[in-house]
Amino acid sequence: MRLADARALLPDLVTTPGEPQADQRLIETLANWCDRYTPWVAIDPLGGALAEEGVEACSTGGFGGDAGLLLDVTGCAHLFGEGEAGERALLADLTERLARHDLTCRAAMADTAGAAWALARFAERQADLYCPPRGHREALAKLPVEGLRLDAPIVETLLKLGLRRIGDLYPLPRAPLARRFGDQPLTRLDQALGMIVEPIEPRRTPPAFRTRLAFVEPIGRPEDIAAATSRLLAALCRQFEQAGVGARKLEIALYRVDGSVDRTSIGTSRPNRDNPRLMKLFEEKLGELDPGFGVELMILAAPEVEAWEGTQDALPDAGAIAASLGEDGTIDLADRLVLRLGAENVVRLLPRDSHLPERVQTAGAAAEPAAAGAWNRVAGMKGARPTRLLQRPEPVDVMAHVPDDPPSVFHWRQHAHRIVRAEGPERVADEWWRPRPDGSRPPANIVPPYRDYYRVEDDDGGRFWLFRDGAYRMAANGRQTARWFLHGFCA
Amino acid sequence: MPVISPNAFVPSAANDAAGPVAADLREKVRRLERAYSAQRAGQEAVPFGVPAIDALLPGNGLLTGALHEVEAGPAPSGRVAPHDGAALGFAAHMLSRFGTLRPNGTLLWCRRPFGASDAPPYAAALAAWFDPSRLLMVTVRRDEDLFWAMEEGLRSGMAAVLGETRATDLVAGRRLSLAAEKSGVPALLLRGQPAPAQSVCTTRWRVASAATHSTPGLNDVGAPRWRIELRRNRFGAPSVTETPNWLLEWNDETHCLSVVPQAFHGSTRESDANLFETRLVG
Repeated sequence: MRLADARALLPDLVTTPGEPQADQRLIETLANWCDRYTPWVAIDPLGGALAEEGVEACSTGGFGGDAGLLLDVTGCAHLFGEGEAGERALLADLTERLARHDLTCRAAMADTAGAAWALARFAERQADLYCPPRGHREALAKLPVEGLRLDAPIVETLLKLGLRRIGDLYPLPRAPLARRFGDQPLTRLDQALGMIVEPIEPRRTPPAFRTRLAFVEPIGRPEDIAAATSRLLAALCRQFEQAGVGARKLEIALYRVDGSVDRTSIGTSRPNRDNPRLMKLFEEKLGELDPGFGVELMILAAPEVEAWEGTQDALPDAGAIAASLGEDGTIDLADRLVLRLGAENVVRLLPRDSHLPERVQTAGAAAEPAAAGAWNRVAGMKGARPTRLLQRPEPVDVMAHVPDDPPSVFHWRQHAHRIVRAEGPERVADEWWRPRPDGSRPPANIVPPYRDYYRVEDDDGGRFWLFRDGAYRMAANGRQTARWFLHGFCA
Repeated sequence: MPVISPNAFVPSAANDAAGPVAADLREKVRRLERAYSAQRAGQEAVPFGVPAIDALLPGNGLLTGALHEVEAGPAPSGRVAPHDGAALGFAAHMLSRFGTLRPNGTLLWCRRPFGASDAPPYAAALAAWFDPSRLLMVTVRRDEDLFWAMEEGLRSGMAAVLGETRATDLVAGRRLSLAAEKSGVPALLLRGQPAPAQSVCTTRWRVASAATHSTPGLNDVGAPRWRIELRRNRFGAPSVTETPNWLLEWNDETHCLSVVPQAFHGSTRESDANLFETRLVG
């Protein structure tokens, strides 16, 4: 129905413009919220595909009143009670909680996603919404063919042919049906009946290890959240121990009473299932979590685990124990620092095989130091190196008497430095075997660009590391010029 | 300043009745005199490597469970030094001395970068003092984070912890020195110029770059020379001069520091002056 028609029928109709983005956000929040029941939550991709003709489906999938969430609750319903009663209780709990947030929803449960989809939309009685195990064939038979998630033209043709109920399709021979309508009706029918598998693609990869803790009364104090975290962690660590794994990443989610979810995660540089150690990492992060008006459920999950058999107890050799303790101390410290400062700010220095001064050192992960002695080659290189290297060489103005000589004066940051001693040049050529930044390879037959490095001392005892970028060139005004840079400060 | 010997508080056998009181007092004095509490905790001093300096330091070396400060000094002419490369070299020497205690221990280096013209320490040069693979480099955005990271490092059994900062935070300094004392891990602060007037460290060094001595007949840059002032020396032996200072030379082939004889030094200064004149004339 068009808006104009609707207004003609009901002159004081209240209208608001559609907000697809807001709808999208709401459905995503709801999907997050549904993680409390199962990690396998997907936003129904067909949400808007069945939208009425003439109404433009929005690009994100169209949530114009037809939005849906698919939850795979296999093995989750026992938390609400035994067998069928548990499943019914889960469904009732879901509907009731959503109603508390003033959201009208229809939730149906069946053996297959297709059947649940059809029931939620087309079931006539409230009692039909729950379909007992293996009862979906019967339940579907009564529903209109729209419930099969078919394209609109196919539904139209089926209706014209008098096939109004899904049950009407059951006795039809399959081959003519496929010839007439293509694969879709049969595939959808088989999916709804469970003949072919229709996996739900979860929005977030469900973690293999997960513990939950629900509260009768919402909690909000930081110390309560910390205590709950520690209980969850203890339970999870037991799971790890049985499975012989250690966590690399842990994520804690607070389900707040207003339906929103707040998460934070910690990472470790080695598989770990040491409860106090992980708790210590969490303590840094818990402060960031906002309990809002209260937290009714907390879920601790381990999205990343690695096989780990734990450390073997060392033989009682004092030296070895002290060494391993020291190493553990470093790893723990690195984890804590990374958590607060970010992984790119806590690094090890690794040597690189290069002659270019700025390429000699590179950053590596905090947990993986270079092998002892990896730096020996660099340390043994001839030519004094500066104790500080400028991130970016700074251009300096230079006066040099003879082109190949070190400069006699250089100007840097508005100071003239008169050079009294100098050493050099040390020629460092560009690495012709490396591709240029733009990806092309330098031609082999030309002299690669080079720098001439000089270590100089000014009249005030300051020592610097300068270089001339290439040879002197003839400038436009007929004078010989070269570009000089300051690259480091020497001891 | 009168030096109070703790022996003055040893009770004689006569006033045994006041035993608890005396013991109490003694404890108090010891707590005041941190050097003793440090010694009790099994902390030791690492020789600095230069006998003339070691003689002035408590325990003939740098106390391990303590906070030490290295600040960049002004250039010989009195101008603000253009960079603190010399102070960094000196701090690296101290780190290498501390690193000998735990030969494979990690050295934590915390620093706050200064924008685009930032010049981080260069591992290829640090390799002269210690193996750079032992370094754990931490960069922070705020001074609070720097002090926090250093404190965490002190508590985690690092071989030594160094922080580069311009911040003057006495409370943070106090916390650092307490944490160092408790763990026995040495802490170092490397400060640029101008350094704050006050601090709570055990020793404080001012390091300025000094003119080197060229090979006779050449104009080359000699071994690095530093003018060192020991501006603060808690628990150390009193010195003849108010702030003892030395001219040290770092030999980058034998990897050791030595004091340059002053007369010899004087002669190089003279030759410097001559050099200028010839240059100016030429």
